[in-house]
Amino acid sequence: MTNEIALYIHVPFCRSRCNYCSFVSFAGREADIPAYVNALEKELTERVKGENLSSIFLGGGTPSLLSSDQLSRILTTTQKLFNMSKTVEVTLEANPGTVDEPYLTAVRQLGVNRLSLGVQSMDNETLMLLGRTHSTAQASQAVQFARNSGFTNLSLDLMYGIPGQSLATWQDILKKAVQFEPEHLSLYPLSLEDDVPLNSAIRRGETPPIDPDQTAEQYETAEDYLASEDYVHYEISNWAREGFQCRHNMVYWQCLPYLGVGVAAHSYIDGHRQANTHYLDEYIRMFQPGALCHPETDEEIKPETQLAEAIIMGLRLNCGIEFADFKDRFGVDLTSRYGQEIEELTQLGLIETSDQSIRLTRRGRLLGNEVFWRFLPECEDS
Amino acid sequence: MDQSLTRNFCIIAHIDHGKSTLADRLIEMTGGMRGDDIREQVLDSMDLERERGITIKAKAIRLGYEAVDGSIYRLNLIDTPGHVDFSYEVSRTLAACEGAVLVIDATQGIQAQTLAHIYVAMERDLEIIPVLNKIDLPGAEPDRVLDEIESVLGYDPQTVVSISAKTGEGVPELVEAIVRCVPAPKGDVQLPLRALIFDSHYDPYKGVMAYIRVVDGHIFKGSNLRLMAQKTEFEVLDTGCFIPEPSSLNQLLAGDVGYIATGLKSIGDCQVGDTVTTASKGAKQVLEGYRPAKPMVFAGIYPTEPGEYDGLRSATEKLSLNDASFSYEPESSPLLGFGFRCGFLGLLHLDIVRERLEREFALSLIVTAPSVRYMITKTSGQTVIVTNPTDLPMPTVIEKLEEPWVSISVVTPSKFIGPLMELVMENEGIYKHTEYLGQQSLGELGQRVKLEYDMPLRSILTTFYDQVKSRSQGYASLDYELQGYRESRLVKLDIMVNELLVDAFSRVVTPNKAHDVGKAMVNKLKEVIPRQLFKIPIQAAIGSKIVARADIPAKRKDVLAKCYGGDVTRKRKLLEKQKEGKKKMKQIGSVEVPKEAFMDVVKLSS
Ligand SMILES: Nc1nc2c(ncn2[C@@H]2O[C@H](COP(=O)(O)OP(=O)(O)OP(=O)(O)O)[C@@H](O)[C@H]2O)c(=O)[nH]1
Ligand code: SF4
Ligand SMILES: [Mg+2]
Repeated sequence: MTNEIALYIHVPFCRSRCNYCSFVSFAGREADIPAYVNALEKELTERVKGENLSSIFLGGGTPSLLSSDQLSRILTTTQKLFNMSKTVEVTLEANPGTVDEPYLTAVRQLGVNRLSLGVQSMDNETLMLLGRTHSTAQASQAVQFARNSGFTNLSLDLMYGIPGQSLATWQDILKKAVQFEPEHLSLYPLSLEDDVPLNSAIRRGETPPIDPDQTAEQYETAEDYLASEDYVHYEISNWAREGFQCRHNMVYWQCLPYLGVGVAAHSYIDGHRQANTHYLDEYIRMFQPGALCHPETDEEIKPETQLAEAIIMGLRLNCGIEFADFKDRFGVDLTSRYGQEIEELTQLGLIETSDQSIRLTRRGRLLGNEVFWRFLPECEDS
Repeated sequence: MDQSLTRNFCIIAHIDHGKSTLADRLIEMTGGMRGDDIREQVLDSMDLERERGITIKAKAIRLGYEAVDGSIYRLNLIDTPGHVDFSYEVSRTLAACEGAVLVIDATQGIQAQTLAHIYVAMERDLEIIPVLNKIDLPGAEPDRVLDEIESVLGYDPQTVVSISAKTGEGVPELVEAIVRCVPAPKGDVQLPLRALIFDSHYDPYKGVMAYIRVVDGHIFKGSNLRLMAQKTEFEVLDTGCFIPEPSSLNQLLAGDVGYIATGLKSIGDCQVGDTVTTASKGAKQVLEGYRPAKPMVFAGIYPTEPGEYDGLRSATEKLSLNDASFSYEPESSPLLGFGFRCGFLGLLHLDIVRERLEREFALSLIVTAPSVRYMITKTSGQTVIVTNPTDLPMPTVIEKLEEPWVSISVVTPSKFIGPLMELVMENEGIYKHTEYLGQQSLGELGQRVKLEYDMPLRSILTTFYDQVKSRSQGYASLDYELQGYRESRLVKLDIMVNELLVDAFSRVVTPNKAHDVGKAMVNKLKEVIPRQLFKIPIQAAIGSKIVARADIPAKRKDVLAKCYGGDVTRKRKLLEKQKEGKKKMKQIGSVEVPKEAFMDVVKLSS
């Protein structure tokens, strides 16, 4: 288990852009996929030094726009460069409208053993509002294809806090999703950057604004319902059947090292966080054979900040942070170092502590930012 | 130089009619500066003046001009501010001049301050040169405005100079008119020195720089001088004129406009309006001065962080060195800690002082609701002056309460008389007089009129000016002048945030308006205070009686969604921003109130 690293591969292509999206992804650039795959291989070759690999996550964008051949090339390269055990978790994010059974079967055979389907909603009206290009019928089909192709670890993404969506509609959506019996569920509140089309529609008054109280209501409903359906709530936004927690994402929450390749991908290695360029053309140009390639930014995370990040990310997990673990890793006794913060937050009902660990309360999970910022070190430049 | 070749004049006008732009053209024409060096409104040298596009402080500048008659004239030009808050600057610069160029915007015609300024200039017997500006604009209506000038001000349209201060058209004719019409100064160089201080600023090296008009006698570097009223004596460290930078001269003679560096440490030691004479064998008779401008509007200024009090103290001291019309004295508030009760000429002045303090001294400030000066006679017979609403005594001990009233004049197309009349009535105004300006109608807007009212000064300290603009679709202009004190019946309205009385929000209102004002204030606060971890009641009260209430519900959700592709840094930065944001809040009990809330609430109409 020593020296393990997780690998994230960003695939920044989409058929069209969703109305809420501010991820790094490009529509109408699918012709560049071959060149992009070359660049990915080049970056991997440059940056991988035979580390032990624990997981692979192909995220996007829409990674399912890659052909099985292209996927195969990437995964073969990875196998060559890393030291890989058989049990590595390999996740592919897929858009329900882009997959069929032969494709998923091929992908499964390449060693992808976890499929994350961007279902987002089980309500067609909502899908339209979000600008998703698939229907709920396509979502059910995709689930069927996945099962038929042999995927036994299936995750579904759903969004709540949708403008104008009632609690009843949300409950119905959840129920439909659970009927697919996914091993894993990620529920994300809709959050909009200033410049996305859905936000403009809200500003113009064509769509009602996001109602934070309704969003909170829907979250708590989901918590109760999923618990009754035997899903373990293991992170603020994630639920899984026992044993099906996403190993790749655990790396982020535990602040363990990861390598991210592709446009705008981030890495965290030896206390440094690096980020690649956000521009597709620049990335393809940069990671060409013979070209000098390097991440665009490289930030050294100071020990103080590492501590803060470990707490902020760690508290996202429902099991919270074990005092002993933390002490082992950072040499810091949480209760004495942050005694004042912990007391204040306990009084506010946002966190709870036991002899062994500290974690968010139910209320705290909805108000996490109020907890997190208190653990940040003082900024030097103020 | 022969005094007969000197012309001292100022440029006066309603706000934005183009005074500073005209000054640019005059500077350019007379070769005072090269064309390239002239940025727009070059005399507006303060950052704030440039950003806001307005003149705040009057400026004197000397120009040399070769006239058509072949003589070289010395022109001393003073650009003045147009905003009503700074009217006193105009009246004092008039005392340094023999002539005034009255600029009237050809798209707007005569406005409230046009009238206010011209009346003062006439009282002082100045030669007035009316000028029609902005004739290059498509919206210009020269004929109509000339008719207005003729019928209201009595000038023959033939004698009005039409110009564009932007393109320079007509400006050569204007300078000739200045040389021809403005009388040369008449002082006597042989008589004992008498010079009038019409403005000043503080220079860290040379002390107070007094802007003066020499009436009789002369001044040279090293002269020992005396201020006749204040009896201060000092040596002239430097003398000269502005071109527009200060430029040293050997001497200033009777009829000249220029500056003297006094070495004095505070503007208070060298008051504007005083007469300068020689320390020995000085003049006997002082020049007619003018009363220094008195602050009319008061507000508390507090540091957001109590630790910044010392910084605020030294900043207010420094700022007041350069601004004699700004007053301050220490006060303290149970919630805001130590600060100052400051006096201003008006709301624009207040806003400018606040911005300069924050910007030039890197402070973060909270400004309380502006107030006027109340004179209160208690039942005990004792009289007290109150400039802070929290100090208003209980109604039961007040025998008599008096507050300042102003006479206001509004110039507007007749179409808006109704809405404006209504607005004035809502604000406790009393109608006095209507006067039609000119004969021509503005089409469907009707003819232009000047409306006169009396109103409590208190009523114009909120959104009155904005509402005059909005109810007249931007056409009406407003001028006002302090008139005197009148008796009133008023009460103090308090605001409680989470059961805590926030003195900064307290204001004085008429009893019948308490409910409406209270409601507006609590609703505004509900809108500007972000939701927090607990429910926050906001109440408006008179004494112990609650007149309005609004509750801010507790915040339920505030958590970041997923981090894409491991971008933990971005997540952390968002949290850092949140943390920084908290620091910018003012803690009121356990409630965090954004600084802006103070201003937003203050700006509500009463
Ligand atoms: N088109 C045109 N615009 C002009 C003319 N004169 C001035 N302006 C514009 O009118 C605006 C106000 O001009 P200023 O010279 O700052 O006016 P001011 O009278 O000094 O204003 P205050 O000092 O604030 O009272 C500016 O945007 C000028 O560019 C003109 O003759 N023609
Ligand atoms: S599929 Fe995902 S990445 Fe692509 S546009 Fe939609 S939200 Fe953005
Ligand atoms: Mg100006």
